[in-house]
Amino acid sequence: MSALSVFYAILFYVATLILVIGVVRKITQYARTPAPLKIPTTPAPTTQTGVVLRMAREVVLFSSLFKSNKWTWIFGWLFHFSLLLAFFRHLRYALTPDCFIWPLIDLELVQAAGKYAGLGMAAGLVGLFGRRIFVDRVRYISSPSDYFMLILLLAIAASGLSMSFVSHPDIVNLKGFILSLITLGWNGWVNMPTDGLLITHLTLVILLMIIFPISKLLHAPGVFFSPTRNQVDNPREKRHISPWGKALDDAEADA
Amino acid sequence: MMRTLTLMAVGLLLALPLTIQASDLLPKVPLPAGKDKCVEPTDVMRREHMHFILHQRDETMHKGIRTTKHSLKECINCHNAPREDGKVAHIESKDHFCNSCHSYAAVTIDCFQCHADKPENTNYRHSLVENTLPHHPEMSGSALTKDTLNVLATKGDAK
Repeated sequence: MSALSVFYAILFYVATLILVIGVVRKITQYARTPAPLKIPTTPAPTTQTGVVLRMAREVVLFSSLFKSNKWTWIFGWLFHFSLLLAFFRHLRYALTPDCFIWPLIDLELVQAAGKYAGLGMAAGLVGLFGRRIFVDRVRYISSPSDYFMLILLLAIAASGLSMSFVSHPDIVNLKGFILSLITLGWNGWVNMPTDGLLITHLTLVILLMIIFPISKLLHAPGVFFSPTRNQVDNPREKRHISPWGKALDDAEADA
Repeated sequence: MMRTLTLMAVGLLLALPLTIQASDLLPKVPLPAGKDKCVEPTDVMRREHMHFILHQRDETMHKGIRTTKHSLKECINCHNAPREDGKVAHIESKDHFCNSCHSYAAVTIDCFQCHADKPENTNYRHSLVENTLPHHPEMSGSALTKDTLNVLATKGDAK
């Protein structure tokens, strides 16, 4: 392998470890954080199935955001949905044609949608950036990291779009490199292509992977742990008590 | 909890290599025998071939400038020449030069919905003679009849 490929292979492994371990640790922390009070935002579902549906609506359509601010919702939802489409296009670099999901990835519709979704991502991000600059109340509470995340994602989208619309890298060799990384070199190593835009894109993504577990982007797993969204509205039918609260209760009863 | 999650994550990571079979790292691209150079450097062809072909299409169809350097027909003549057993790969096959990479990278092309995916050599065309099997060109007679050649000539396709 070339020195460049060795360098990026190591970077990718380190970044993946940081991302996986960091996010798992954060999820564990969220799962352990006490939710002592019954505080679902009403009107709230009264059954567990209802909560699942409410959470699905929250995750897929961003319903709370829709009720709160239409501008933020349209830019935010546009960005996230485009990101999902771009993700499906990118699967072609990590999966082989014998994978069960390949017939979906191989569809012209999926590939084309993923390509133009890059424009949707950029549009959404520019909108969210404008919100931080032009809305007084939001500008006042914006910290450097808020701007940084937007700029980082925008740079990733821009470098990706440039590879589709301006200067193509050698994607066949790129896929070989990625596959050799995923297989941990079991079938040998492949050198990465040296296109500048590609190296920029990969470097920015590595940076994103590394800071993801310590950034505001943790709202992705975090949304599932919001007590106001994930609780059933049944305080009278079933008493809400946490394990440590029950221990206190029992100790009192014994005394 | 922590331990379970960590174990699950490690297990997933270890299972990843199983999703890829050996020798699948790069596609096997059939190279034309006896030729060592394409019309442009390999690096350039890998990244820009689609633009060359598209530009050629515009030059030919819109301006009437018909050259051979970047013509799709010449790509096929050289890159999909008959193999040693006399057979020619179909565009759906992984042995077809174009498809070997396109199927690997999930790139759908529509060139061959109109254009021939087989070389000009008339022996590998579908036979125009009746009572042969149209989808098995390798089973058709190798010599072309005078009538067939006449049909090809009037279409301006025979050299």
